[in-house]
Formats: sequence, structure tokens, C-alpha cells
Amino acid sequence: MFPKKPQLSINIPSKTDLLKMIVGITKHVATLNHFSNSDSQKIALAVDEGVTNVMKHSYKCKKNENIKLEYFSNTHGLKIKIVFRGIPPVFDTKNVDINKLIKGKRKGGLGVKLIKNIMDSVNYKTIDDINYCEMIKWKKKK
Amino acid sequence: MKEFYVRLKIEDKMGVIYLKGHLDAHNVGRFEREILKLIGSNIVKIVLNCKELTYISSAGMGIIMGYLDEIREKQGDIKLCSVNKRVYEIFDLVGFTEIYDFLEDERIALNKFKNVS
Repeated sequence: MFPKKPQLSINIPSKTDLLKMIVGITKHVATLNHFSNSDSQKIALAVDEGVTNVMKHSYKCKKNENIKLEYFSNTHGLKIKIVFRGIPPVFDTKNVDINKLIKGKRKGGLGVKLIKNIMDSVNYKTIDDINYCEMIKWKKKK
Repeated sequence: MKEFYVRLKIEDKMGVIYLKGHLDAHNVGRFEREILKLIGSNIVKIVLNCKELTYISSAGMGIIMGYLDEIREKQGDIKLCSVNKRVYEIFDLVGFTEIYDFLEDERIALNKFKNVS
């Protein structure tokens, strides 16, 4: 069980120039929780993708909206919750076919694939107009 | 301070784009402009030199993917070179390593294009 209250909570405006900072913080939190450097970098990338999706799709690139990030950890893993308003995201559970994206000349669609490939569990829900994206990464058993 | 740099070189009708630093949704437009410059000049044999690329998110990979079909229709291709281990792992996660040539260095990548033409 993860603690009910996050060990770290950050509020940011929906500005893409803050993405690098989010990556740095997330990587640091993952490393402190004994994930390898490689896994920490990947977890940070998954959070970057989740937050970028919120900025682009839920907030339509408006820069004055709020995004909250909450980090929960226990001995088994790390849970990151992204809390935001705006348009609820559509998280496609089907596997993303990269060849179809190429044929369709699509530039989008890889973020979802990355999140799914990196994290062990990803859930989206909307309660009272507030959207939640919850991602969990479990530690590898030694 | 800039966190991402992109530079373009044209050699023997082939384009080399040097990517340096942290490439994400914030700065991806600068990378896209360089790709479009090459396609607009009908230079479709493109090498992405990733020697100094430390991070790439799906925004950057989306540009590499989104123009590939058009480039291949024009008998060109995109090859990547000098990718560090951490960034390679990310390309591998989305399946790029099965779709693109990843080569040791820029010279090998350019020669591979020359051998085909």
C-alpha cells in the first residue's frame, strides 16, 4: 500500500519550458527510491509524456492552467499522480502500431506507447471535473 | 540558457542534423524546421547525429517518424548515428531500432547512403 499523503507534491503552470524541470525532479525522486539510473530516466520520461499530454490535449496549450504532481513511494515501488482539469484524456488501451503511425504520417501517438511500455500500471479517471492520471512502477525483485 | 541545440550541414546532397542536449515538446519546433528545410530543398538522405543528444521524448521521435513516409517515397531515408546507450534504450522502447538504421558514426551513415545511390 502506498501512503495516503504524497511524500512530495508540486504545482506547476501548464508551460512546456517546465518539462525539463519535471524530468529532473522525477528522476531524482526515482533514484532516491532506489531505482537504477536507467529505470529512473524512463520513469521521468513517462511523467514527461503524461504532463505533455495534459498540456497539449487537456489544456489545448493554454499556459495559465494548473497541473499538480504527487509522488508516493513505498518499499516496493513508486506511484506518481498527475492531477489536472480541462478535457479528460482519452487513453487508448490498444497497442500502438508504429508502422501504421508512419504510413499515416502521424507525429503523435508515441507518448502513450512509451507510458505503457515503461510503467507497470496506468489509470485515468475523472471525478467532479478533476482528472487523475495515476502511474505505478514496481521495483524489480532481486 | 538554451537546453537544446540543432545544427544543419549539407554534404554531397545529403543532410546531417546535429542534435545536442534535451529534446522535448518545448523545443521540438526547432528540430522540425531543420527537417522541413531539407525536405523543401529535396534533400531526403538525412543523418541525425545524436552524439550529444542527452534526452529525447516522444515529441522529438514524432518528428523523426512523421516525415519518414514522405522521405522514403522520395527514395530517401533517415539514419541515426552516434546514439548513446541511454537514448538508444528509449528509441528501442518504441520500436525505432527495427525501423531505422542506427550506425556507429556519421561517416559510416553517410557512406551507407553513398553505397545505395
